Amino acid sequence: MAAIFASRCSRVGRSLFGGLSNSSPGLFTTLHEMTCKNMFSQQQRTFIQMRTVLKVVDNSGAKKVMCIQALKGKKGARLGDTIIASVKEAHPNGKVKKGKVVYGVVVRAAMQKGRCDGSEVKFDDNAVVLVDKQGQPIGTRVFGPVPHELRQKKHVKILTLAGHIA
Amino acid sequence: MRLEKCWFCSSTIYPGHGIQFVRNDAKIFRFCRSKCHKNFKMKRNPRKVKWTKAYRRVHGKDMTQDSTFEFERKRNRPERYDRNLAENVLKAIPKIDKIRVTREEKHHKNRMKGKKQKLQMEAARELEQGISLVKAPSVLQKDPSLTLPKIKVGVSQQQSEDNHPMEE
Repeated sequence: MAAIFASRCSRVGRSLFGGLSNSSPGLFTTLHEMTCKNMFSQQQRTFIQMRTVLKVVDNSGAKKVMCIQALKGKKGARLGDTIIASVKEAHPNGKVKKGKVVYGVVVRAAMQKGRCDGSEVKFDDNAVVLVDKQGQPIGTRVFGPVPHELRQKKHVKILTLAGHIA
Repeated sequence: MRLEKCWFCSSTIYPGHGIQFVRNDAKIFRFCRSKCHKNFKMKRNPRKVKWTKAYRRVHGKDMTQDSTFEFERKRNRPERYDRNLAENVLKAIPKIDKIRVTREEKHHKNRMKGKKQKLQMEAARELEQGISLVKAPSVLQKDPSLTLPKIKVGVSQQQSEDNHPMEE
């Protein structure tokens, strides 16, 4: 919904400012960029659902994956949940090729998640570590911070591979 | 029970409160409430926002260097438990707190030292400039022409319109 609204806004912006671009191009482009930027910063962070593109933060060979099924919850996956995803971008010499359907554990999510002590934690982006059906990670390294809630979800191997535990 | 400090306003965060944001370089930002979190998202500098502790310290409104702050610093390595040490610490905490409060009061008093005099000077200057607006009661008694004459106004009582029939 937000994406549709954003695209509609951008289209309106182009149509409004298109004819006036010759007279003062700098002013209107900056204005349009500002409005889009402001809207993006106020965008509501939500669940990881179908068609959500996630960053892969291990050395399995994939760069970007797209969620095709969240295996837990009615609305979508959150921090620590397992998803099924399709590889959209991959390194040429990696273990995982483009188009392959893989399992992944969400290790970073932009949507805040409540902790057992009552506080909330959220991350910069949506990131995933690719695992097999048994839950063992495909890669041998994990980059960036991961939350300690993965211990409750029985993903201890990911925690041992991780550099920073938040 | 671990008490954290808010990244934006430096207030104490008690367990179960606030939100924690983890950046991709693994730096953790803790916020005591949504007000601080929203200000952080707006990329505001806490040194320029007047209600934060950082602003108050930078502009000399709060104490910056004091020996009592040394006791409050963060210790990541836990001390080995010693009953006597724990007892002494618990006894010392209220004393140190009392010392800090008195020093803060003293600092505030020193900061506000010249304020009363300044206000008095401003009041005197204002009085000098607007002396024509001020007249003593004795002057009014001597010269009654300064007061406005009292005018008697006759108020005509209007008849009530209850007994009149309604016009259609």
